[in-house]
Amino acid sequence: MSAPRIETSPRPEAAQLEPGSFRDPESRVFYSGDGVFRALSEEGLTEFKALQATRLFERFTADGSLVATDLLEGADAPAGLLAKGTAGVLRHERIPFVSYPYEWPFSMLKDAALLQLDLNLAALEEGMILKDSSPYNVQFRGATPVFVDIGSFERLREGEPWAGYRQFCMLYLYPLLLQAVKGLSPHAFLRGSIDGITPTQMRGLMSFRDRFRKGVYLHVFLHAKLEARHADRGEEVKAEVRKAGFKKELIVANMRRMRKLVAGLEWSPPGGVWVTYGERNSYTDEDAERKDEFVREVSTSRRWGLTWDLGANNGRYSRIAAEGSDHVLAMDADQGPVELLYRNLREEGDEKILTLTMNLADPSPGLGWRGLERRSLPDRGAPDLVLALALIHHVAIAAQVPVKEFVIWLASLRSSLVIEFPTREDPMVKKLLGPKRAGLHPDYERESFERELAQAFDVERRERLESDTRVLYFARPKGAGRPIDLTIPEA
Amino acid sequence: MPDILAYLDPGSGSMIVQVIAGGAAALAVMARLYWNRILRFLRIKKDDEVVDQKRVDPK
Repeated sequence: MSAPRIETSPRPEAAQLEPGSFRDPESRVFYSGDGVFRALSEEGLTEFKALQATRLFERFTADGSLVATDLLEGADAPAGLLAKGTAGVLRHERIPFVSYPYEWPFSMLKDAALLQLDLNLAALEEGMILKDSSPYNVQFRGATPVFVDIGSFERLREGEPWAGYRQFCMLYLYPLLLQAVKGLSPHAFLRGSIDGITPTQMRGLMSFRDRFRKGVYLHVFLHAKLEARHADRGEEVKAEVRKAGFKKELIVANMRRMRKLVAGLEWSPPGGVWVTYGERNSYTDEDAERKDEFVREVSTSRRWGLTWDLGANNGRYSRIAAEGSDHVLAMDADQGPVELLYRNLREEGDEKILTLTMNLADPSPGLGWRGLERRSLPDRGAPDLVLALALIHHVAIAAQVPVKEFVIWLASLRSSLVIEFPTREDPMVKKLLGPKRAGLHPDYERESFERELAQAFDVERRERLESDTRVLYFARPKGAGRPIDLTIPEA
Repeated sequence: MPDILAYLDPGSGSMIVQVIAGGAAALAVMARLYWNRILRFLRIKKDDEVVDQKRVDPK
């Protein structure tokens, strides 16, 4: 972990462009050192100054839901960054870990949508509006949504409609409706298309009965129909709408209704195995206590920057890890426990633990233009410590990733590791092996696992839990630790 | 203020949905929108007037 070097001014020669920030011609994000900067065109700068003069800028920055931003005097941006030239440079607060809507559980997407609408409604009161409605413009500081795209604010032009309405439907409303109305996770759709779900696609996903649900007929069925009817008439329709006297009050009315609609959407995870797993898995009280202690000892043995908790479930160990880490990423393949953990953390006002839905056997890839617009998981920041507790049997047996492959992947993160190995006698392992043919997964044995682990890491600690079916290890990257001899039985 | 086009295409169908969805605030706008269409259909107003409007949206 390195102490963050706060740069007050960017060094254009050492700047790195944010590959996902090219769509808006008036603004572009770049990095220099540990600083996040934004170059603005002449128009972009004018819009920012207008935003700076609003009450909402102060109010939302103060409560942390608008990214902290300063206008730098006399700072330079790399040449050629914006087609129109750079007129000003902003410095932004750095968000600890970037995440994407296809990784958020339902309530995170809903909170991002509500923030987007609240900012819009506040902006409209002061003659401004957000020119787009992308959830990629919202990030999370722990369980707190933060709007990061300052370049989205612009002064409202008389007679113009809400330009971001369609995008709001495609990337917020439809995904939320799918989960709330159909119980269908929108993650595959959002990951499958960077622009979201089109009105026509959404109509195809709705049944006849669904059209009677609140908001569905208007925003889905009618929207799809009108879109088909008026395709290629954009300019004419815009002029017609303006001529008919489209005004701000209409946008306000639409946004208020949309806010009500979104606020009313609910989804709760089914009470399945995973959701209650943390409470009723196979641990005895002594085992659970010992495991807590083990994780706490490692977590607080030094200050860790970023900790990844893989298979975080109800977040018990993410919380322990947070005692000694600046930030924790709590990831689980199942949306249910992630949703519940997020709700609890939100209630507590947590700013340290970021909850994400992530299937390690199929993690978020690079997406968008050149595969760089949205980054793959490891590209977004390497962890300093990784927790892989009660996980390896799911990866190796359920997802069929060979134990060796999994250990090599963990080692590729170049971070310290706390890993738990449940033996073949463990009830959970038996349950996973049960339906499979006998003799499968011969590599799922403690001895061979320890061999692989010792080959990729310096194993510093090993502890067998009381019940004898689970073993905990603390390991550091090769060359960084003081390895113990694993052939000697543990005390 | 320069009247530039939003970088995002608002979508023609989506603009009309907004007029319909605006509730009471939208009634007058919707009435005018469709009244203008009827006038154009009856050739009482010329299409040119719509074309004129395009000049405020230079590409």
